[in-house]
Amino acid sequence: MIDNIIHAAFVMTTPILLAALGGLVNRIAGIVNIGLDSMMLAGALAGLMVASLTGSWPAALLAAAFVGGFLGLLMSLTVTRLAANEIIVGLGFNIAVAGLVRFFLKSWYGTSGTLSLADVAMLPRIHIPVVANIPVLGAILSDHDPLTWAAWLLVPVSAWFLARTRLGLRLRAAGAAPHAARALGLNPLSLRDASTVFAGMMAGLAGAYLCIGVVGIFNEGITAGRGFLALAAFYFGRNRPWATALGALLFGLFDAIQIRLQGRGLPAELVQTLPYVMVIVILTLVAITVKRARNKGA
Amino acid sequence: MSAVASSARAAPGIGWRDIALAIAPLVLALIVAAVVLGIAGHNPLEVYWLLLKESFGGTKRVAATVAASTPLILTGLATAVAFRTGVFNVGVEGSLLVGGLAAAFVGFTYVDLPAALLLPLALGAAVVAGTLWMLVPAVLKARLDVDEVVTTLMLNFIAVSFTAWLVNGPLLAPGSANSATPMVVEAARLPKLMPPSTLNAGFLIAVALLVLYWLWGRGTALGLETRLAGLNPRFAIASGINVPMLIVKMMLLSGAIGGLAGGIQALGTVNRFVVGFSPGYGFTGIAVALLGRGSAIGIFLAALLFGALATSGATIQLFSDVPIEIVNILQGTVMIFAVARFSWLLKNRRGGK
Repeated sequence: MIDNIIHAAFVMTTPILLAALGGLVNRIAGIVNIGLDSMMLAGALAGLMVASLTGSWPAALLAAAFVGGFLGLLMSLTVTRLAANEIIVGLGFNIAVAGLVRFFLKSWYGTSGTLSLADVAMLPRIHIPVVANIPVLGAILSDHDPLTWAAWLLVPVSAWFLARTRLGLRLRAAGAAPHAARALGLNPLSLRDASTVFAGMMAGLAGAYLCIGVVGIFNEGITAGRGFLALAAFYFGRNRPWATALGALLFGLFDAIQIRLQGRGLPAELVQTLPYVMVIVILTLVAITVKRARNKGA
Repeated sequence: MSAVASSARAAPGIGWRDIALAIAPLVLALIVAAVVLGIAGHNPLEVYWLLLKESFGGTKRVAATVAASTPLILTGLATAVAFRTGVFNVGVEGSLLVGGLAAAFVGFTYVDLPAALLLPLALGAAVVAGTLWMLVPAVLKARLDVDEVVTTLMLNFIAVSFTAWLVNGPLLAPGSANSATPMVVEAARLPKLMPPSTLNAGFLIAVALLVLYWLWGRGTALGLETRLAGLNPRFAIASGINVPMLIVKMMLLSGAIGGLAGGIQALGTVNRFVVGFSPGYGFTGIAVALLGRGSAIGIFLAALLFGALATSGATIQLFSDVPIEIVNILQGTVMIFAVARFSWLLKNRRGGK
């Protein structure tokens, strides 16, 4: 029972974590990406189609990342080159892409809402002998797919990348001090575009994970607002990769728990509000701390 | 933020150039949607003509369009009053949901009251609920400078789940399995203006508020203060305006109007509260406010446009094989183009924020 929940929590964490890490890098470079959900949705559909067409899961992941990245590029160019407000553009992308996806499903496949294809290549599970039999540890480490491993590997990698590499430093400069970055001969707008493409690719992978890692079919509601949960995760983690991962894991745990809660007293709907409530509480606590520190300094 | 504040500014003296700029987002969105339609093998002009006919051809169709635009006038107005002050409230959807539920609750609970009392009480409950829903983000923004985009966005999701919990549990209609409250009594329903159309007195309320907004924007001190605070908060503070207090007031007003939108929808059209009560009226309201550039007449026309798309989209799906989602594509792209600036075509001078 407990092993089941732990395993399910990790499964539900992966898509949130992938998109959250993308959104985190994006935000550090200066763009708050509200459109993650749309990129996730498009990635999910592309992933499923290619997984069925080629029978190869790496090809499906590539396609999902490409589609997500392409949408990211479009969104970023609107923000950086057309001086459009990133929040509105993100909301607009969510509405337009959700419409486009459903339009495509109806026009191309003649189906509304759900798409089920033949011969879909699912992500393989990596079974670790011996460890798999250890309680708790086995549930944490064994029988996960490569994308879950990649997502967790990317947590220390992105922490190192942002803190220690030249490009990471430049991205941070593009977000925190665009004028200084420009004075140093960098192009903050292009850096932001690159970070949004990355965020789009990560969100696309997150979508593909839902399709070919968990469910095996596509549904118009497959993301279930996980793009916004990812947003909540990097706000919860205040742009720090490990804290963001912790947020994603918590939200994944809530997700895993609420499915098992149905008909057991604590209503699933109220559990669904927890991630969003937590973000508001965290932001409030941070703001109070900042204000106190400022008052002391004055 | 400044990009929106300035695009929401009503231009003094309207010329051809302003009109061209105002409809540019719509034209661009129509072009994008035309490409999508063309790829899918439809003739875009035929589809647009059909949309136009289905939304304005005949009294019945006009009534349906106006009825569909009623909640959008209000959510557009709710968004506009916040944007005008420079507050980025994207949480009208949440206010609308709790407002709708509050109105429905009064409408099916206090069934013995006469209509003259029950209807105002139910609408009042919607306003109060919508206002209270904005209290937390308003105070957090004004006192602690907590990003209102994030808090109001998060509150939308909280509102969806919270109202879903209420209608699935404590407020579920007895004997009902479909996540809905009981129907409100006849006395709590807004009078229909043109039965059998769902067009109701809520439209008159919406238009009256729009007129008030127009008068308020030009003739009152608060109207000027909000505009100053939206355009240049530092100048507003220097002029002695209490900007934090103004932010609280305007966010609460925005929530109140959003709540009223929900109440009118609950008492005029749906006659109860159900899960999926709003197909995104609050988000469409953002598109309405942006496309209408924050002016009263602009909001009215933009709401009419999206109302027309909503009603005709549903019927063209019946008469042709064009999926209704073309409406969402139009709506999303209008939002995107409404905030995009094309001055870069002339000169690229922006070096990031």
